[in-house]
Amino acid sequence: MTLANPITTLILSILTVLSVFVTIGALRRLRHPERAFVASVRQRLIVAAIALTTLGLFIRFWLVEGGWQPVTSHRDGLLLMSFMLAGTIFFMQNRTRLVGLSAFALPVLTFLLGWAICSSAWTYRPFDLPTLHPVWRGVHLTGVYLGTAFCGLAAMAGGMYLYVQTRLKRKQNLGGLGRLASLEALENTIIRAATLGFVLLTLGLVTGVVVISESERQLPPGWWFTPKIVLATLAWLVYAVLMNVRYASGFRGRRAAWLSIIGLALLLATYAVVTRLPPAPPPPHAPPGASASDDGATLKAVTTASIDHRVEDG
Amino acid sequence: MRVLFIGINHRTAAVRLRECFAAAGDAPPHLNAFRERFPGSECVIVSTCNRFELYVARPLHGQPNADDLRTFLSERFGVPMDQVASASIHREQDQAVAHLFRVCCGLDSMVLGEPQVLGQVKRAYQTAADCGSAGPVLHRVFQHAMATAKQARTETGIDAGRVSVGSVAADLARQVFADFADKTVLGIGAGEIAKLTLRHIMELAPHRLWLTNRTHQNASALAEAIHLSADVGGARPWEQLDELLVEADIVVTCTASPEPILTPARFKPILKRRRYRPLFVIDLAMPRDASPQLGSMTNLYLYNIDDLQAVVANSLGQRGDQAQDCERHVAAAVTACMSQITHADLGQLIRQLRAKLHDIGQDERERTLKKLGQSPDPEALDSALDEHTHRLINKILHMPLSQLNQHDGGTPLGFYAAALRRLFDLGEEIKPDTEPAEASEPGPDA
Repeated sequence: MTLANPITTLILSILTVLSVFVTIGALRRLRHPERAFVASVRQRLIVAAIALTTLGLFIRFWLVEGGWQPVTSHRDGLLLMSFMLAGTIFFMQNRTRLVGLSAFALPVLTFLLGWAICSSAWTYRPFDLPTLHPVWRGVHLTGVYLGTAFCGLAAMAGGMYLYVQTRLKRKQNLGGLGRLASLEALENTIIRAATLGFVLLTLGLVTGVVVISESERQLPPGWWFTPKIVLATLAWLVYAVLMNVRYASGFRGRRAAWLSIIGLALLLATYAVVTRLPPAPPPPHAPPGASASDDGATLKAVTTASIDHRVEDG
Repeated sequence: MRVLFIGINHRTAAVRLRECFAAAGDAPPHLNAFRERFPGSECVIVSTCNRFELYVARPLHGQPNADDLRTFLSERFGVPMDQVASASIHREQDQAVAHLFRVCCGLDSMVLGEPQVLGQVKRAYQTAADCGSAGPVLHRVFQHAMATAKQARTETGIDAGRVSVGSVAADLARQVFADFADKTVLGIGAGEIAKLTLRHIMELAPHRLWLTNRTHQNASALAEAIHLSADVGGARPWEQLDELLVEADIVVTCTASPEPILTPARFKPILKRRRYRPLFVIDLAMPRDASPQLGSMTNLYLYNIDDLQAVVANSLGQRGDQAQDCERHVAAAVTACMSQITHADLGQLIRQLRAKLHDIGQDERERTLKKLGQSPDPEALDSALDEHTHRLINKILHMPLSQLNQHDGGTPLGFYAAALRRLFDLGEEIKPDTEPAEASEPGPDA
């Protein structure tokens, strides 16, 4: 662990710097055509970033104590999301239908990497899940983090949808529109990513409930009205609407784009609530080590509160 | 004759003002009104979606002048005089001719080098010729302009590889839709620009392409002209327009309707029936077919001719070299054309002068012959010839010399004097006799 931590932080720092450069280039490309040389450098930087992220994941998985641990801390979750996002960006580079989406995904990748550095260097806290079966734990945490990654992708497509639509409506700087994905492709991306995100988050939620039901802990009274539960439920509902937007025609287009962004904001707020709020004292009837905040009926609550017992790790 | 031009175009006036002129219908009634008001003048009206221009040739000191033309436009088209004055541009002589040449070459178009404008100018000239409002001067100017435009386009390649309104419309459609295999295109109207744009849209391979027009035969003719196969689409009755709008994803409209046919009131229920599917409307008509308020409706993207041409204009920065070559062609052609006009004026003047002098000579000849009688006496013949010559010279010089004596102060007298001296090769001006010998000799006291 002591070896893995600084190496991971170093890799994350390099990745963040790379990501910042690529992000600046991608944002510039929104308005100005890119030269062939710059495009080639950008492509290589993305490949290098993906390779480094993979290396970081392997280092985490192999050097961490206790052998193979898919997601052992919030940092691993962020690293997993970054890896997925970088892969998606690389995929999008070669998809003419989604051209330009990387300009909206790269800032998010940079943000995630920066957040992972913080989680690695200053607030590293591995998940303490001794009572969970490794399969349930893997499915639960992977579902939650991958679900969040897909919801993030939906939000990025939503952001780009709003950008493209505003330019089309205001008829401003239309010369560069050929370098951006079409509204229809973006709406499809929003719906597909939101559907995948919804399914994975629901999987995380269900496995979380299964885990709780198998454990001996009990939820405190009024657990369903805590901020994290309310926020997580709202996020879940938003994605439930978003995946059915084709049938709810009133939510098509701009509204769907805003919903995707609101959904991600709610998810991030849930993360923030879960990771920021101090754990409540355990109920009198709970076993030693359990906290009142570890309830989790919904996806994020299940993720980080009801199951996870965090231990400060230096 | 003097050539004048007055007009409004996309640079000087917004669509709303241009619509007032375009909505006034065909040119012949306006040409006839012009001829009634300014007899003796020539006129051609060029009216396109981007411009409304009057090319006029009038006698040198006749009517109309620029203010008369502005007044004519204001009264004839019901546009306030201050709007006409602020939005119109006015050129005379070689500048007016140069403007027409630039228009024909596509140098004044929003889409640099666009070829459609040449056909539109040709039709405008033909209309004026049919109405009899284009005279010898404008015949010469317009024929020269069209020949120059063809030559300049061929030699400079200014219209080669151009970005057209149709291609931009197709690009914008690609920005809204990703896949056209399930999309329906609706063409409203059967104009030339609609045909060109629909050809570009057809390259996107849409699922269906319907055409509709108030005159069903025109829609059918357009379907044939763009080689629309029956399994892809065809002409549909005008009465089904609302149904077609529900079905369509892309609408290309270009009718001659003076009022908008696509209004918010019409579209509100249609959008609901469409379940708010995105709709891309390309309005190429002038006056506009789609009310501007449509652009603010949910999932509806409205582009009119100005919007599309602005996009095109932005993408043409790299074609400056061809434009410069074309400008050089225009400058040379304008000089040649103006020279021809001037020479034509001069030729007519010479013919008139010769005819007048010939008449004078004929009158005097008859008079002298009559005076001599049947058997002229040699002495009387000598005297009659002297008188004949004297009368002939007096009659010829009477008019110019009396005009010179009745000089009204408009043109400097010296100008006429110099002209006479040059025309009759009278040599250098002779100073009046001032007794130089006496004046120059020094006095005895000097």
